[in-house]
Amino acid sequence: MTQAAVLARRRERLPFSHDERRAWLFLAPVATTLLVVAVFPIVYSLYISFWSIKLTRPHRQPFVGLDNYAQLLADPEFWHAVGRTTSFTVMAVTAICVIGLAVALLLNETFPGRKALQALLLVPWAIPYVANGLMWKWIYDSSYGALNGLLFQLDFIDKYMVWLGDANKTLPLIANAFVWKEVPLAALLLLVTLKSIPADLYAAARVDGAGALQRFLHVTLPALRPGFMLVIIYETMTAIRHFDLFFILTEGGPGDASHVLSWRIYVETFRNLSFGTGAAMSYILAIVTFALAYGVIRALGRNVR
Amino acid sequence: MASIRFDKVGKRYANGFVAIENLDLEIRDREFLVLLGPSGCGKSTTLNMIAGLEEVTSGKLCFGDQLVNDIPPDRRDVAMVFQSYALYPHKTVYENIAFGLRMRRTPQAEVDARVRSAAQKLAITHLLDRRPSQLSGGQRQRVALGRAMVRRPAVFLMDEPLSNLDAALRISMRAEIKQLHEEMQTTFVYVTHDQAEALTLADRIVVMNDGAIEQIGTPHDIYEKPATIFVASFLGAPPINTLDGEIGGASGRPVFRCGDVALALPPAIAAPTGSKATLGLRAEDVTLDPKAQDDVAIDGVVNSILPIGSDQFIGMKVAGREFFFRLAKDQACAIGDRVRLAALTNRLHVFDAASGRSLAGG
Ligand SMILES: Nc1ncnc2c1ncn2[C@@H]1O[C@H](COP(=O)(O)OP(=O)(O)O)[C@@H](O)[C@H]1O
Ligand SMILES: [Mg+2]
Repeated sequence: MTQAAVLARRRERLPFSHDERRAWLFLAPVATTLLVVAVFPIVYSLYISFWSIKLTRPHRQPFVGLDNYAQLLADPEFWHAVGRTTSFTVMAVTAICVIGLAVALLLNETFPGRKALQALLLVPWAIPYVANGLMWKWIYDSSYGALNGLLFQLDFIDKYMVWLGDANKTLPLIANAFVWKEVPLAALLLLVTLKSIPADLYAAARVDGAGALQRFLHVTLPALRPGFMLVIIYETMTAIRHFDLFFILTEGGPGDASHVLSWRIYVETFRNLSFGTGAAMSYILAIVTFALAYGVIRALGRNVR
Repeated sequence: MASIRFDKVGKRYANGFVAIENLDLEIRDREFLVLLGPSGCGKSTTLNMIAGLEEVTSGKLCFGDQLVNDIPPDRRDVAMVFQSYALYPHKTVYENIAFGLRMRRTPQAEVDARVRSAAQKLAITHLLDRRPSQLSGGQRQRVALGRAMVRRPAVFLMDEPLSNLDAALRISMRAEIKQLHEEMQTTFVYVTHDQAEALTLADRIVVMNDGAIEQIGTPHDIYEKPATIFVASFLGAPPINTLDGEIGGASGRPVFRCGDVALALPPAIAAPTGSKATLGLRAEDVTLDPKAQDDVAIDGVVNSILPIGSDQFIGMKVAGREFFFRLAKDQACAIGDRVRLAALTNRLHVFDAASGRSLAGG
């Protein structure tokens, strides 16, 4: 038997081919890292959500099954937080879609200075959330904020306002800071989708007698569906779990006006040191996020090639 | 009404590139006109100017007596079939076909009648509820035709409509398009780079090259009486054999000379003795004839044989150039044979070497 044939036979007995084993070898570092930093915490937090773990009471940590979940669902405070998260998310995602579309349509036209504008657009996206939060904290500041300065000089207000102290304005103002940072990504995703629409489609629509508005309705908007799908899913997931701005701008205040779910998870876990409840709440948030994403894909994904 | 006139029309694109220069062309009412030429010669540009999709930057474009330079596509009564088909991906086949009618506020009953009759004609009735992504290339092609048909336009424009189809389908669609033209009784302007398509479909062919017209004529004229060396080389498969030489000959009978080749030319060739010329000899315009007269003879050694079923192509060196000839299969020869061919004198084409224009008089 030749050497090659011997090797071939030996290879047949092994579960993986030579190439596959080498692939696993190269994948091992990444796979291990993922297991440790992603899979393990996910599984472990599910595990601790079935226990009553309070660090203020380290020696008694009984198994409580679904009690953590049941208590949460029966807690009106939890539902208020869900309501605030929902209104924050709806406000933010709606604004991101509308403004993002407007910006994308603008950048899809050719005009002098378009390249510069496009580069400028990326600035908010490049700023970290914390820096963005600090910037808006400054803008909203009640004694030296830029917003007060602007509105005062334009005579819209006659005295400086404590913007974030007004329970009715807190969520919209935080959403505004969030939108400012997220619009570039949305605009970029929509712009890429716009650019992928074949020019022939517009030519065909013109020959068919469609005016500018009808071309927008019959060619542009339907083609933007996959882009919108991405934007809505991504921004919903980001908004629903968003924490940084609440932490920096209001710490849940004034009162409980910006007590959204992510903020409650933080307070429950790291201030009340109630890890079991925090984990349970996180899991509820994760499941809702997942369900929403699935719903959006189903709704918008119809008819998308 | 549906005649189209180009009067010194030019097209300069925004980047300064001049795609069409000084185009003069009259497209007759109800004719099937084919714009033929290599890729990039300006066929689509010309078609898009008729459609109103590209602006005419100089000269006049008229439909009948009406100047249409500034008239937008939707008021030109033209329909267009695109190479990419350009079907609206999210609309059903039905809505794709109906779109042009809907944009023109046609009553629903009429829309429905026209869509269904077009679908029936094109045998796509069973596809009306599908979306373009669920169709084959040939089916999409039919939908694109249907979308143009229902409009009943005065001018039907097609930009390489068959070039994305496979060979067999392309040939059967040619026949259908020809039939469509007969039924619709409207002006067709059809763009292609495929000479076979042009020769089968056209009433008249416009051969274009580099933004200008080389020749306008019936398929017969274009093939048999090419006005330029470009036209002669662009049509025919394999391409016409060419040879650079000069006009000679005494006693009123012109002769083409190049090396040891000396061929008598048809008397109508109008060129002074000694002028440089290019000879064009189509593959099929010879016969195998050992006893051929010297002034029609082409001698050579067969160096390749390509059977093509009914006939065979033989290759041989003539005055240093590789020539291909088409012979009937029963005209037996083998590689290495020294053969004598007789050229058909009145099918020889001769062009001025400098301008490339045909020297055939009248
Ligand atoms: N929008 C445009 N801007 C600049 N040049 C163009 C544009 N469209 C086409 N051209 C150029 O014009 C020439 C003719 O193009 P086209 O009419 O599309 O050729 P064809 O259809 O015969 O292949 C080509 O050289 C092409 O590169
Ligand atoms: Mg073209």
